[in-house]
Amino acid sequence: MNIDNTASQMRKGVLEFCILSVIKQGEAYPSDIIDKMKAANLNIFEGTLYPLLTRLKNAELLTYRWVESNSGPPRKYFMLTDKGADFYKELEATWSELANAVAALTK
Amino acid sequence: MKQVININFQGRVVPIEVSAYDILKAYVDSLSRHFSMEDGKDEIINDIENRIGELFQERIKAGAVCITDEDVNAIIKSIGRPEDFDDADPSATTGNTDAAEQNTQQQQQSSATNTSGKRRLFRDENHKLVGGVCSGIANYFDIDIVIVRIVFLVLLFSFGIGFIPYVILWIAVPSSATTVIGSRRKKLYRDNDEKYIAGVCSGIGNYLGINAWIPRVLFLLPLLSFASKNRWGNWGDYGDFNFFSFSPGALFIYIILWLVLPEAKTTAEKLEMKGEKVDMNTIKNSVVEEMKGVQERVQKFGKEAVNVANERGKVFGAEAGSLAKKGSRSLGDVIAMLVKGIVYFILGVVGISLIIALFAFGIAAMGVFPMKDFLLTRGWQNVFAWGTLLFFIIAPMIAVITWIIRKLAKMKTGSKMLKLGFSAMWVIGWVSVILLIASLSKDFRHSSNINEQEVFLSNPGVQSLEITTLAPGTRFTRNRWFSMEPFEGTDEDSAVIRNTTIHIVKATNDSFRVSMIRTACGNTRRNADTLASLINFNAEQKDSLLVIDQGININKVNKFRNQHVIITVYVPVGKKIKINDRVNTSSRINFSGPFNNNWERDFESIKFENLEDGWDEGEWYTMTKDGLFTKDGKPADSYRRNNKNRSIIEVREGKERLRIDRNGITIEDNNDSEGNYRYNDKPMDKFDSIKLNIKKEEKRYKDSLQKEKEKIEKQLEKYDNREESNTFLLKSLPFKNAMVLFN
Repeated sequence: MNIDNTASQMRKGVLEFCILSVIKQGEAYPSDIIDKMKAANLNIFEGTLYPLLTRLKNAELLTYRWVESNSGPPRKYFMLTDKGADFYKELEATWSELANAVAALTK
Repeated sequence: MKQVININFQGRVVPIEVSAYDILKAYVDSLSRHFSMEDGKDEIINDIENRIGELFQERIKAGAVCITDEDVNAIIKSIGRPEDFDDADPSATTGNTDAAEQNTQQQQQSSATNTSGKRRLFRDENHKLVGGVCSGIANYFDIDIVIVRIVFLVLLFSFGIGFIPYVILWIAVPSSATTVIGSRRKKLYRDNDEKYIAGVCSGIGNYLGINAWIPRVLFLLPLLSFASKNRWGNWGDYGDFNFFSFSPGALFIYIILWLVLPEAKTTAEKLEMKGEKVDMNTIKNSVVEEMKGVQERVQKFGKEAVNVANERGKVFGAEAGSLAKKGSRSLGDVIAMLVKGIVYFILGVVGISLIIALFAFGIAAMGVFPMKDFLLTRGWQNVFAWGTLLFFIIAPMIAVITWIIRKLAKMKTGSKMLKLGFSAMWVIGWVSVILLIASLSKDFRHSSNINEQEVFLSNPGVQSLEITTLAPGTRFTRNRWFSMEPFEGTDEDSAVIRNTTIHIVKATNDSFRVSMIRTACGNTRRNADTLASLINFNAEQKDSLLVIDQGININKVNKFRNQHVIITVYVPVGKKIKINDRVNTSSRINFSGPFNNNWERDFESIKFENLEDGWDEGEWYTMTKDGLFTKDGKPADSYRRNNKNRSIIEVREGKERLRIDRNGITIEDNNDSEGNYRYNDKPMDKFDSIKLNIKKEEKRYKDSLQKEKEKIEKQLEKYDNREESNTFLLKSLPFKNAMVLFN
C-alpha cells in the first residue's frame, strides 16, 4: 500500500465536487478553474481538467457558451445546468456528511 | 540555428521551431492515444489544443519571435503529460500515480517561483499592483509582499529613490506572464454593474481588491473640501491655489479614466477585471511593440555587419566567419537594448514634461481665474472667460492626455466621437478666446487724459526728502498678477496693483514740489477719465518723509484697466532726495511696468544699473545743476552717462589712437597703448593712422576716416537731439516703461 497512491485517490474523489463548486460560483473558463484551485492549494493539470469537464458536460451536468475573447478565437465558458445544480447539492450533502464523519472519527 | 515553420494551430498561425513542432506533435499524439477510449475524445483534444494555442499566442504577444522547444516543454509541463493526469476514470489509474503525485508536489513548490523549479526572479503578474516588481521580490525571497511594498513606498516618499530601482526592475525583470506559463493578468476596467457615474471608482476597487468606497472618497475629498472651504477658513496664502487646482485635478483624473478605461462588458472582461490586474503593462507592452520596429532596424544593421563579416570570413575561413556572425549578432542586440533604453527615456521625459506643462498651464490658468472679477465686466465677458477656461484650456488638456494614453494603450474604439466632440469644444474655445480678447481690447482702447495734480506738501522747504511707503505692519502678499490682502480672508474683493512710477526732476525754485498723474484705460475716453479719477493713491509729507501708497487699490467695481500713477518729485538744486530701501525691497513699489509681476525684472534692471554706478536705493542724492550726485560725487544717472560714453569711437593703430566722442575728435600718439582697430568694439578694416609711415596708402585711409567721422558726427547730433527730448517724457507715459528719470 503506497501512501502517495492513497492520497491521490482521495484527492481524485473530490475533484469533480471541487470543479462543480468553482463553476457554481459563476461562469468559468478552464484556466480560471485551475487558478482558483491552485489558490486553494489544490493543484491539477489542465490535462486532467479538460477531460473531466467534457465528461461532466456529456453527463449534462455542465453546459458552456462561447465567449468572444479579445485575443484569438472565442473561449468556452462553463456553467451548471439545472441537473448539475441538483447533482451539486447532493454532492454537497454527501461531502458535509463525509467531512463531519471524518472530523468526528479523526478527533 | 534553427528552422522555423508556420503552422495553423487551432485557427492561429504560429511560427514554431521544427524541433519544437516535433515535440508538440508527439505530445498531442500521446494525448490522443491516452484519451482514445474516452467518449468525447475529439472534444478533449480540441480543448487542450485550444489552450495550447492560447499559450502560444501569449508567448508571441510577449515578444517571442517564434515558439521554441523550451516554450513547448514549459506548456507541456503546465498542462501535464498523460501519465501525470489524475484521471477520475479508475481504469486509467495505474502505477503511474506515483509519478503523478510527485510531479504535482514539485509543481506546488515551484509555482511560487517558476515552472522550471529553479528559483528565478520574475514580476508576479497575478498579484501585482503596478508592475508586479514588489510581489516578484516577495516571491523570490519568500517574504510577505506587504513588507516589500512598504519598503518601496518608504524609499519612494523619503528620498524618491525607490522609483528608479522600481522602474529598472520593471523593465529588466521578466514578467511571470511570459515565464510562468498560464499565469494571467489583472486588467483595469470600468465596472458597469456597480457604478454611480461611470464605474471608474468601482473598477479601481475591483482591481486593487478594495472596497469601491475608498477610491470614491478619495475622489470626492477635494470637492468636499472646496465646499467646506469657507468654514475651514483660508488655507494660508495659497488657499485659492489649492481650491482651484486640486478639486478639478480629481475631476480631471476621473474624466480621463472614464475616457481611457474600457467598460467590462463580456463575462471574460468582468473576470479579468477582478482576477487580473491593471495594466500599466499594456502601456508598457505597446511601447515595447513600437520599439520592435527600432529593434528590427538595428537587427538589419546587425545583419549587414554579419554580411561584411561573412565576406571577410572567406579570407579567415568558415569558422572565423561564424564566430564573427555570433559576435555581430550580440552586438546588434546590445545596440538594440541601448537604443531601446534611450528611446524609452526620451519618450518618458518628453511625455512627462508635456503632461506637466499642460497641467501647469491649466493650473496657472485656473489659479488666475478667480481674479477675473477684477478684470472682466459681467455678462458676455464672463461667459467668454468661462468658455476660454473650459474649452480652450481644460478640454484640450483632457484631449491631449487622453490621446496620449489611448495611443500608448493602442485603444481605438469610439475615438471618432471623441475626436468630433473635442474638435467642437476646441472651436468653441477659440471663439471664446477671440471674443474675449476683442471685448477686452475694446475696454483698453482709450486711455485717459493726462492731468498733473499737485500733491500738497506740508513743508516744501525741507532740506531733504525721503520717499517711503506705508509703515511696516500693513502686509501684502504677492499672488501672481495681483496682491491679495490675506487678513480679510474671505473678503477678497480688493486687489492691489503695483503700477507706480517715480520720476525725479530738477525744481525750478528752491522748494520741493510733488505732482501726481493718474491714468487709466477704458472703452471710452470719458470712462477712462472716470476710472483714473477714482484711483485713490495717497502721497503725504511727514517732515522729511514722503509716504506713498504701496500700490493702487482696485476692486470688482473699478476693475483693472491699467491704472497707473506717476509721481514726479521736483528737487531744488542743493537739496537732497532718497528713495527708501524699503520701497524696493520689502514694499515692492514698482518703478515702472504695467503689471506688478514685472517688478522683479524691472527691479533687476535697476539693480543692474546700480552695479554700473547708477541709482542706489537708500542713498542720499543731492541735486546739482548738472543732476543728482551722491556725496561721493557719483552721478545718479551715471549709467546713462556711461551709455553716452559708449557711443565713442576709438581706433588704435600701433601707438596711435583716434577717438571720437562728445568732446570731438582726438588723435593721440600714445606710446603705451597697443591693440587692434576698434570701432564700437567691432573690428574694423585695417588701416593706418593719419600720421602713418606707409605713405602710399595714406590717402585711402584718410578718406575712410573722414567718412566715419561724418557718420559719427551725425550720430552724435542725433543723440544730442534725443537727449533734449528726453528731459520730459510724460506725454508718452501710460504704457511706457520708463525707468526712474533724472534730470
